Amino acid sequence: MKTIRMISLRQIDLSDETFSVNFLADLQGLRSSIQEIGLIQPVILREKGDRYQIVCGFRRIRVLGELQIPEAASRMVRENDVEEFKLFSLALHENLTTRGFNAVEKALALDKLIHYFRIDPTVAIRTYLPLLSLETNEKILKTFLSLARMEDEVKRYVVKEEVSRSNIRRLAAFNTEERKAILSLISCLKLGENRLREILILLEEISQRDQCLLKEIVDRPELHAIVSHKELTPSQRTDRVKTALMNLRFPRRHQVEEGFKQKKKALDLPPSVSLQHDPHFEGKRLKMELQFETLEEYQSLLAELFTLPEKKAFQKMLEEEN
Amino acid sequence: MRAALRDMAQAKRIPFEIGKIYLDEDAEQDRVAQTLIRNLSGVPVETIRDKRFLIKQFLGKPDPLSAGKKNILITRFYGRRLKSCPGTSRHICCGYHVINVITNCPMDCSYCVLQGYLNNPLLTVYSNWDDLLEEIDAFLSSGPHALLRLGTGELSDSLALDSVLPVSQILVPFFAARKNAVLELKTKSAEIDHLLSLDHGGRTVVSWSLNPLKMIREEERRTASLDERMEAARKCQEKGYLLGFHFDPIIDHEGWERGYEETISFLFRRIDPRGVAWISLGGFRYPPQLKAIARERFPNTRIFLGELFPGRDAKFRYLQEIRVEMYRKLVGWLREADPDLFIYLCMESEEVWNRVFGWSPTNSAHLNRLFEERLKGFLRA
Repeated sequence: MKTIRMISLRQIDLSDETFSVNFLADLQGLRSSIQEIGLIQPVILREKGDRYQIVCGFRRIRVLGELQIPEAASRMVRENDVEEFKLFSLALHENLTTRGFNAVEKALALDKLIHYFRIDPTVAIRTYLPLLSLETNEKILKTFLSLARMEDEVKRYVVKEEVSRSNIRRLAAFNTEERKAILSLISCLKLGENRLREILILLEEISQRDQCLLKEIVDRPELHAIVSHKELTPSQRTDRVKTALMNLRFPRRHQVEEGFKQKKKALDLPPSVSLQHDPHFEGKRLKMELQFETLEEYQSLLAELFTLPEKKAFQKMLEEEN
Repeated sequence: MRAALRDMAQAKRIPFEIGKIYLDEDAEQDRVAQTLIRNLSGVPVETIRDKRFLIKQFLGKPDPLSAGKKNILITRFYGRRLKSCPGTSRHICCGYHVINVITNCPMDCSYCVLQGYLNNPLLTVYSNWDDLLEEIDAFLSSGPHALLRLGTGELSDSLALDSVLPVSQILVPFFAARKNAVLELKTKSAEIDHLLSLDHGGRTVVSWSLNPLKMIREEERRTASLDERMEAARKCQEKGYLLGFHFDPIIDHEGWERGYEETISFLFRRIDPRGVAWISLGGFRYPPQLKAIARERFPNTRIFLGELFPGRDAKFRYLQEIRVEMYRKLVGWLREADPDLFIYLCMESEEVWNRVFGWSPTNSAHLNRLFEERLKGFLRA
């Protein structure tokens, strides 16, 4: 493997991904570098019949191809000199020292170790999880193995949105069709970890309670209207989707909330007065907040509030519900 | 106590699968330990020196709670075992006292709060009963308490192991001789055979948690059926025991109205309501950590699919509108059976009491006094 040879890209089998764990590789920096000063580090190839298999350098060879550079400086491994698993391990170490892996690449690496190279799960937990900077437990291994089996569009979402492990586990609990339905809803939203968790739990619980398909929930007109509303920002869309799902999940609470809104509207309060109920209607206590800048504004507000007890709507709002 | 231990016949049946008994060497000489081992004669016994290591081993299992429920640890308990019921903050509670005889439970209800509460997953039997009886005795003799209520159903089911462990045989006669206390044995089992021959002196209330058939089938694993519970209650009533019933947790599920109405109707076809000391109502509630644990253990449970929100004590409860509706309906059905039933709400606010009954105890002490009056009425009779 010491000698470096120039190998034509045409002799390399680009479709052989035995040693690859690439997923959504960012090639921009590498492309600029190769354009500027050429390939610094030779790739590692393995002879396979009359062609070559890539061991290390998938991204470099792809960039060389894009830049129409016909040859790659390569170190060679003879077909039977080194066993496949050792070469995979070499590829993992080489990648880790040069760039690190995203979540899906870690998942693909673990999946290959377990399912292709037949590494015992306890060895994978003890040896390979720390290598990939992951905690050494079975739950983590299972999480990443489940990610490896997800659909490509979901994997892309996981990488792009840096989805947390707990949310990966939640996604893994759904089947392919359900994940596709979820993705059609969440891909146009702006979701942090907590919001994504809330949306996934709401969807799961509505579907479980109503014993309906997740797609039926996602396709509901009220959600469809929000998602296809062009003038909303992703944040506004997210808030509205969450509210719509909350209303579906908690219909009685929604009903009580609507009742409160009606009563509040009937009070005809000035815009600078806000009236709030207990967050979950656990008590009848109300909270009122006033906003003012001048003494006149303050006096005017108080004068208006002074008349509140005479209003039937206000009396009704405070009366006992027996 | 010795007589009770001696009277237990050998090799009793137990309606639960017990894989192994771990016997703490400190408990080896305790007669309760020996009785339990003798009654479970087919179950292997391993003597252990370090129970903390054993507990750690069980905690490391994939589902520590399920594993723990199938293994008994017999050990001694060196702290206080009689405590005021912790109740819950900012709600009206009933001034109950709990006796810690066993921790954990061989039954497996999906809503069980112990899942998120116990740091020892094993079914643990404390064998130093002499210490316990002394502690109870000292407590009851310590002051001019009017009439205290004590129960063993807080950290376990009171009677689940009664066929092999002489809980009732020790406690019922002990309380029969006390003037200022009543024992409550709270259960979801039908293990009442020992109770039937005991002289209880009117000082033991045997009570059952009740739920509709569908909820028992889906959410209360390894418990007695509704019919078995009712039949057991009937037999106890026949023997003069006061009875209690706990509709707790009331679970909001499809068809709940019919389910609870039928359960109440079924109950009073078998039981004379005049011999019922109390009936509690409590909507399903849970501390925040329970949901993740229970959903992991029971992926098909539907109990968390109701409209539950965090309350003033941080526990999740049904929306107040829902609770009040459920309580009102249950109270109505119960009052139809007997308008004089003593019905109370467990861990509820003054506001909810008012909305359900049109009045409320002013505080927990007031509710406690109402219990005393109720019990005195029975004891005078």
